Amino acid sequence: MKIILIFSQFCLLVVLAPLVSGFIAKIKNNLRMRRGAAVCQPYYNLRKFFVKGEVISDAASWIFRATPFVVLAATLTALFLAPAVIAANPAVLAGEFLAIIFILALGRFFLALAGLDAGSSFGGMGSSREMFISSLAEPAACLAVFALFLQPGTTNPELLGMINGLRLANIFAALGLFMVIIAETSRLPIDNQETHLELTMIHEAMILEYSGRSLALIELAAYLKQLLWFMLLGQILFPATVSYSAGFIPLAVTSLFFLAKIFVIAGIVGVVEILIAKMRLFRVMDYFGFAIVMGILAIVAAIMGI
Amino acid sequence: MGTIIVLGIIIATYLMVVAKRVTALVRSFAIQSFFLFLYTLVIARREGNVELYIVSGLLFFFKVILIPHFINRIARKIKVNENLGLFLNVQLSLFFALVCTYASWAFSRMVVPAQDPTMAIALTAAFTVILVGMFLMIFRMKALSQTVGLLVMENGVFLVASSIAGGMPFFVELAIFLDILLSVIILNIFVYRINKMFTHVDAAKLNKLKG
Repeated sequence: MKIILIFSQFCLLVVLAPLVSGFIAKIKNNLRMRRGAAVCQPYYNLRKFFVKGEVISDAASWIFRATPFVVLAATLTALFLAPAVIAANPAVLAGEFLAIIFILALGRFFLALAGLDAGSSFGGMGSSREMFISSLAEPAACLAVFALFLQPGTTNPELLGMINGLRLANIFAALGLFMVIIAETSRLPIDNQETHLELTMIHEAMILEYSGRSLALIELAAYLKQLLWFMLLGQILFPATVSYSAGFIPLAVTSLFFLAKIFVIAGIVGVVEILIAKMRLFRVMDYFGFAIVMGILAIVAAIMGI
Repeated sequence: MGTIIVLGIIIATYLMVVAKRVTALVRSFAIQSFFLFLYTLVIARREGNVELYIVSGLLFFFKVILIPHFINRIARKIKVNENLGLFLNVQLSLFFALVCTYASWAFSRMVVPAQDPTMAIALTAAFTVILVGMFLMIFRMKALSQTVGLLVMENGVFLVASSIAGGMPFFVELAIFLDILLSVIILNIFVYRINKMFTHVDAAKLNKLKG
């Protein structure tokens, strides 16, 4: 029973992930007084990519072919390790937070290699920028989240925010993590998902050489990663998990609460993206400096016990 | 509730430290003042003090609407390059602000009894705001940031008063508001004159006499 529940939760998360992206795009378009694409557009895109043929550069090596699978597998594993609805999930206990960060880093490493592999100038540019940004984003994320692990003394992500409810340290950590999430999901002040303009793109530049099925896998991995970060943020601010043996009604209620918090976070991300303009690449350091300071303040607040 | 508002004040203060433009600085100042207004409302409700409600209303009117509007107008009018001109880059400034926060926490822990963490937090935020205001006056080049720094320090003093003593006497508060408004107007005229005479408002270059 437990295994069935955990796997069905995992499969539902995978199915849900593109919807979150579609929801954000819809909110942004509606706020701009446009009708916008349907909420399910990411699914249509994925289906389109799966049907289409694929072009692979002659210069590309096996890394280029293997990368989509590595990235998707890494992201799926990381998602499997993240807490969602069911409490005391053995998968979560197996991985803990550091595993999530490093498994995601594996995927990113291969993406950067693949960007360089095809030999186009855009790919290399995208890889270098992605590495520059992730070298700042990872410590900021870790710092913010570690502040919350100080008290329980473990790095079990299920315990994020569970100790004594919502406190000052949680809010600081959530702010720091939110800024990191904006960067990690390649959203507006850092990157722009909507354009393919050479000066602004980072994530898109790396995957520019991909087409067809490989592109579909990489896009799906990006959706999953976004959902994973939203889940962690939701866990910090409004932790709610329920034991698998609690019966149908508590499970359903907790699932609804989970969906609500994911979509509220997605809505906030969409609104924030509407409100701000793209940042110059070298101002990114100031941006992450602020995120890191939020993390340090979270640690100070956690030590003060407030 | 009060603690979360104080958190807003601290974050607005940090936003001021990273601001590179006059408009961003003034916007963060307005945000900080808005959180201060909320804090005063909370204090007023706790103490049941009618005068504090009036003070908070005045605070909203002057510091959230009027003074930011004045400063933005003068910044538009003198048409200077919007850049603040940093003596210290953003990372070092942030580090300095962190040190300020830590120092004020150490200080307020000494002053306030340990049983009262909310007051210690409020006092920490207040001293941080004062120190950062001083920092803005010293380490930013443009004369406009000196004005904003002064206002920020005044916000800090206000926060100290309202967190320790539940606000200053009403007439003192009133006088301070008028004082601040007048000083902003005078400083703005002053900045305007400096710009007319020297064609810049760079405080770093204002070390020679010119007739």
